[in-house]
Amino acid sequence: MSELLIELYSEEIPPTLQISARLQLEKLFTKNLSDLNLKYKDLHVYSTPTRLTVFITNLPNKIRTQALEVKGPKEGVSDNIVKSFANSKNIPISQLYKKKLEKGFFYFAKIKAKVIDTEYELANSIPQLLREISWKKSMRWSDYDLNWGRPLRSIMAIFNKKILRFKFSHLETVNFTLLEEYGDIKQKKIKDLGEYKNFLINNRIILDHNQREKFISQKISSVCKSKFYKESIDKSLLTEVANLVDKPSVIVAKFDENYLKLPKEIIKSTLQSHQRYFTLIDQKDRMRNEFLIVTNNKDDKKLIKIGNERVVEARLSDARFFWEKDRSLNLIKQINKLKKVNFYENLGSIFDKTQRLRKMAYFISDQLNLNKEKVEIAASVSKSDLVSGLVGEFPELQGVMGKYFAISQGFEEEVSRAISDHYLPTNISSPVSKKPVSYALSIIDKLDTLVGFFLINQKPTSSKDPFALRRAAIGLLRTIIENNLVVKLSDLIEYSLKIYFDQGVKEINSQVQKELILFFRERMKNILKEKKIRTDIIEASVSSHLNDNFLELYQKTLIMNKFISKDLGKNAVSTYKRASNILEHEKSISRNGPDAVLFKYEEEKELFERINTIRKEFTLKDEKKNYENHLKLLSDTKLSTDKFFENVKVNDENKDIKNNRLELLQILCTTFNSFVDFSKLEGT
Amino acid sequence: MPKKIKSKKKNYITFQDLVFNLQKFWSKYGCIILQPYDVEVGAGTFHPATTLRSLGTKPWKAAYVQPSRRPTDGRYGKNPNRLQHYYQYQVIIKPSPKNIKQIYLKSLSAIGIKVKDHDVRFVEDDWESPTLGAAGLGWEVWCDGMEITQFTYFQKMTGIDCNPVSVELTYGLERICMFVQSKKNVFDIDWNSEGVKYKDVYLQSEKEFSAYNFDYANTDHLLKNFEIAETECKSLLEKKLSLPAYDQCLKASHIFNLLDSRGVISVAERTGYINRIRDLAKGSGSTWLENQEE
Repeated sequence: MSELLIELYSEEIPPTLQISARLQLEKLFTKNLSDLNLKYKDLHVYSTPTRLTVFITNLPNKIRTQALEVKGPKEGVSDNIVKSFANSKNIPISQLYKKKLEKGFFYFAKIKAKVIDTEYELANSIPQLLREISWKKSMRWSDYDLNWGRPLRSIMAIFNKKILRFKFSHLETVNFTLLEEYGDIKQKKIKDLGEYKNFLINNRIILDHNQREKFISQKISSVCKSKFYKESIDKSLLTEVANLVDKPSVIVAKFDENYLKLPKEIIKSTLQSHQRYFTLIDQKDRMRNEFLIVTNNKDDKKLIKIGNERVVEARLSDARFFWEKDRSLNLIKQINKLKKVNFYENLGSIFDKTQRLRKMAYFISDQLNLNKEKVEIAASVSKSDLVSGLVGEFPELQGVMGKYFAISQGFEEEVSRAISDHYLPTNISSPVSKKPVSYALSIIDKLDTLVGFFLINQKPTSSKDPFALRRAAIGLLRTIIENNLVVKLSDLIEYSLKIYFDQGVKEINSQVQKELILFFRERMKNILKEKKIRTDIIEASVSSHLNDNFLELYQKTLIMNKFISKDLGKNAVSTYKRASNILEHEKSISRNGPDAVLFKYEEEKELFERINTIRKEFTLKDEKKNYENHLKLLSDTKLSTDKFFENVKVNDENKDIKNNRLELLQILCTTFNSFVDFSKLEGT
Repeated sequence: MPKKIKSKKKNYITFQDLVFNLQKFWSKYGCIILQPYDVEVGAGTFHPATTLRSLGTKPWKAAYVQPSRRPTDGRYGKNPNRLQHYYQYQVIIKPSPKNIKQIYLKSLSAIGIKVKDHDVRFVEDDWESPTLGAAGLGWEVWCDGMEITQFTYFQKMTGIDCNPVSVELTYGLERICMFVQSKKNVFDIDWNSEGVKYKDVYLQSEKEFSAYNFDYANTDHLLKNFEIAETECKSLLEKKLSLPAYDQCLKASHIFNLLDSRGVISVAERTGYINRIRDLAKGSGSTWLENQEE
């Protein structure tokens, strides 16, 4: 039994590329070993910024494979298929033979027993495997042809305590690892995994990224505990930082407590996003003027701490300069400056956008019965912070800064909040705006963007969505659904178009209204999929939904999904199937509906009455329809339908009576389909 | 040697020492030491010794100081960290040497940064210059959380794929100097050991140029000058004069930066201007390469 140790040593690979390379190496090696029929005990891939290390234990040095008979394609298939079968087994076609099985003659191949030399196979296959790593971003360097995440410097490959020789691009494998020490680089000969691990430990390097992450998080926790702070570690920052260092130390540093007067988002952005430090909060969620730095060196002379503190001071003082300057700039006066900021070519400036939003604010406030003035003011100042120096410095704080400026200038809380919250949701799972002024602004802002880009025909394609219109549509729908809003989107689109035309925007696409509603319908599928709803239910409800009330669509789908496996759903589906099965074989049924005069049996009359009641119920103009009740009505027709089928023969000798009964069943099915398209539901 | 500051510390590095030491270090390494380019540029990368020399297959090793102008970064001399005119130290080597990272780290000790005592990190930073039609992969080098150098492997320059690949090191001299001298304000940097400070040399200039860049540059003239530079560049390119043409491209680029800081370029127009400059850069690059091959 032997072990394999591969170390790819490069210049610092960024965390995301490192993580992806790690996962790919694990997959590629697992597949490679299984292709080679090699069994092993453990396979691990670890990384530091400079090392990607794979080790595999308990590999056999040689394996003997058994002779084997492999079944191939059936006699009579095309020559190509036979040929590729033979090729895949590495034997000529002439050596294939046929054997009779139950289902006819089949080709077979005999594979001879052989001895596989592990070392030989690994040396042969690994270079190819390494070439298969795909980098999201890759580069060339010097005069080499290789593409890699960052310059690959050396490949150490050890199998069975000896060097495993292979070439990869311009590099030949070596039996030593590298250690960089302040501008010097040393080589260290390695015999096996144990020696490699010891060497790294002795140099304080933690190779295992999980262990590194744990180490850092424990250090942070213990600092928090000792200071009685709340233990809240930003997980994604932790993972990033763990992949930025190989010998981590955690240092506590400070900034002047006067900076705590700044909005906490500014401090957080400065410390976390820009500098990758961990901010600290106390038990009451108040930010402290202390932070944690994860360094890659020991700070014996305390120079590292002082240096980092100085950087933070400089950045915070810069931020404070802008904050003091910007917060007093009247948001309403700033609106004019937005004329200089373009929204998009042919769609005017951000100023033009805010003017459109103001008008739409009126319109939507009417629809949703909200305070017009508040929504209008929020719309007017919603983008004013974009021309502030602070947002110039911290673009990620757009909206958030506007909120703070508004608060300090005495705007109402709801209005201030809307300036930051109308950008929500930031992704498919993040929260949506929940307050009326915020959600109204959020909806019209997104709709304005969607209408504009559709109007100038800049719609997303299957692969590209440069203006994030899908995200905007999903955000808009989620805002509607999660706030239980009935929004007349068609009217809103029409009005938005009118305002665009008033501003002189040229219509390049005349189908905006129709296309946008379809676009929303498609996005609705994404949202429902995200809720883990069965695909056939999504299809059934989305395809039958023809109006612009997406809350209705959503609620119906949820009800359908909830009851599909329960009696309520089962009865509805089986009733529908029973009726539609009969109609399936009948051609040209008139669409006039049944004629009550032609009914001969009570069961016919009863069923017809029932259907009529349901239809009436469905068309009721009620803002708060109860869809569970609707489904129940459909489900309850089972009784009448069953009685109908028991006692009435559809196939009457009298053609008129037969047709009348078919029309009765048809109207039953159409009624079902006006709820959701039952024909798309899989049988239960 | 005058003894004014000597008493402070033995190994105290002044702003000019920083330049001397880097010049010596990279000269020893085999770089030719060039002087700054005499046209206004936004960064050391625009010097033809980098832009044009990173094209083609001929090996090249050069280092130089480049005064760089970024009109929008001016703060009237009031911000301790921001300047509209500052110095970059630029090293360009083609093909990139195998041990460039180690050589770079050694250069830090030549300018008073003992790597052993600090936290030096290579933080992902992929560089792109739309005006030069250029892109590269590399890092910002951080020392104790502060960016001190840009370290870039050029992949593309003036729209042409780089092969072999050059490595570019760009040291931010003021920042590094503030770091080694422990200054919180750039204007307090000791320029030499005779008591001359950065503010004695540049404070007035920062005030006046900020006013020019933000408030007084005549935008009608600038717009005309942009057109003139562009036309001139194109006509020079027709005559296959790549270097004079490239000078005009640089002028156009600086004028664009001034227009930008005067706030007269809308977001939509921006892309248009950038594309126009890129076309000039592309023309200059490919013509220069053709002339090299002759």
